[in-house]
Amino acid sequence: MTNNASIIRLLVAKDWQLFQKQLALYVLAGIVALCLLALAKPWAFYLGSLMLIVVVVAAACFSISASLMVERKEHTLAFVMSLPVSPWDFTIAKLLGNLVTFGVPFLVLCLGTLGTVLFTPLPDGLFVYALLIFGYVLFAYSVALSIAMTVESEGWNTFAMIGSMVLINPFIMGLAQIDAISSQIEQDAIVWSTPAVAILLTQVILSVAVLGFTVWHHARKPAFY
Amino acid sequence: MTAAFSLSGIAKRYPHFALQDISLQLPEGQIMGLVGVNGAGKTTLLRLLTGLAAPDAGEVQVLGHRLPEEQVAAKRDIGFASEDMRLYRSQTLRWHMTLVQRIFPAWDETYADELLRRFDLRAEQAVGGFSHGQRVKALLLLCLARRPRLLLLDEPTTGLDPVARIEVLEALSDVLRDEQRSVLFSSHNTHDVEQLADTITFLHNGRLVDSADKESFLDRWRRVVCQGTAPADLQQWPELASVRNSGSLVEIKARHWNEQLPDRLASLGLQVQRVDSMALEDIFVTAVRSGAVA
Amino acid sequence: MYQQIVDQITARVMAGDWSPGQSLPSIRELAAGSQVSVITVRRAYEELERAGVICTRPGKGSVVAERSSLPTTLMKDELMRHLEALLASAARLGLDKQSLSRLIEQAIESAADIPSAADNPQGNER
Repeated sequence: MTNNASIIRLLVAKDWQLFQKQLALYVLAGIVALCLLALAKPWAFYLGSLMLIVVVVAAACFSISASLMVERKEHTLAFVMSLPVSPWDFTIAKLLGNLVTFGVPFLVLCLGTLGTVLFTPLPDGLFVYALLIFGYVLFAYSVALSIAMTVESEGWNTFAMIGSMVLINPFIMGLAQIDAISSQIEQDAIVWSTPAVAILLTQVILSVAVLGFTVWHHARKPAFY
Repeated sequence: MTAAFSLSGIAKRYPHFALQDISLQLPEGQIMGLVGVNGAGKTTLLRLLTGLAAPDAGEVQVLGHRLPEEQVAAKRDIGFASEDMRLYRSQTLRWHMTLVQRIFPAWDETYADELLRRFDLRAEQAVGGFSHGQRVKALLLLCLARRPRLLLLDEPTTGLDPVARIEVLEALSDVLRDEQRSVLFSSHNTHDVEQLADTITFLHNGRLVDSADKESFLDRWRRVVCQGTAPADLQQWPELASVRNSGSLVEIKARHWNEQLPDRLASLGLQVQRVDSMALEDIFVTAVRSGAVA
Repeated sequence: MYQQIVDQITARVMAGDWSPGQSLPSIRELAAGSQVSVITVRRAYEELERAGVICTRPGKGSVVAERSSLPTTLMKDELMRHLEALLASAARLGLDKQSLSRLIEQAIESAADIPSAADNPQGNER
């Protein structure tokens, strides 16, 4: 399958141009959240961590919704598909576009969080904990993105997106139940317990697998309709 | 004859609609008008021609490329604009022009500027603020400025005010100057089709009702007014599409007029008073209502 | 629709705007310029050729026909068409020959721009 490299690049650049302003705002809000975290006071911590999670989750939803669902609703999809692209090119361009437009803020906030943990009075044990939460967001994002790329119904997409993100709550509670992880949070050292490593690896592998499967599935479509 | 496109034995099935047994061709350098009621299958047909949809049966060849396998190569030379197509509302027309220019090397900047002037569009305005007519013209500009070999247009003049409509027709007829460029446009507006099309294709209920050059359509159909009373079985004649009694007169619409018809009618006691040609709109409505199959 | 083009070109030739031997625009040029389909223009040109108004040379395009009396011939054709229409209307009205002649004579008498034969030796032709 030949890749229409130049057009794919242009389409990715187009998505970046379209959404960079909004995503910059999310990053800004995330930085405010990090500042709150850095104060290392209990009230600031709760507020900051809540805000951070909301910002990251909202950015993920925005990225998927804007690039895929809105395109369908606003019928700009027809315009893109009238360009010399095959369904495969389009799939790749959307995937890369999303990874870039969400991935960049995601990385910025993830690294920012980890940096905040390390370089402030916050206990370093939060490092692994935070990473696991970001890992969950990555996984939920992959699932929601895959569903958005495959299913046309706006209702199902919204449900998948919000549903997978909202499950972050049970996930966090579940983490608290695992002794090996919860006991380390208050410590001022980075400890990679086996459950933590296992969970993180699972998150990454599943994310890649879900996206990989979706791309493979789309490769078999001869035409859009 | 190089064919701009050719469809043979096409079928496409959707849950509530099916396109069946379509075979159609457009020779290079011609304009074809596609006429049909809403839901007749015009949009589906256009999608098959742009490679956006794959047929369930049959073969689609456009500009020498088989679709949908070679859709990328074909779309390089196809300009497609449809009624339900939208541009990115937050971006300017200039942004879209730059995007298209980067993708299509054949973009003619001078011609694009000329079209901006003729269509009275502001390139620096955000597309979201365009009226319906401006949006249609903007889409057309983005197609025309790259001088594609085949233009596929879904309802290009629908919903346009009279001034915008003339602007679009003038821009479309400029394409005529190049005998290697072809156009297929679907329209409700039979006047546009009657004026600009070389070939006319009628679509109804997913089937091809008729496809012929415009002159033979206009030659074949006649409105005949006779004096007398029409016998009940006159409606059964295959050459006649509709028969209507109106007082002492009978109005007949014939789909296959020939010189023998007045005599044959006279033998039934119907004296032909006048024979007129029919406008395409009348032909279309009569053909659909009489369930015409050529 | 092609009839409009035929009439337009015929009128131009009759008025003397286009002289014999002058080239006509190519079919595609005329089509694009007047927003009409190529097939319509082609048919119009064929009609004009048949009527002897233009000549089409293969590969060289079309020119106005080289007959010096062309405008006159065309105008005479027009006159004959009007006469036929007049007779058809009269038949529908059920006029007899005498009534029709009387009507026509009355019209000629009151017409200001038709000279009598004595003043116009060239006008009386069969």
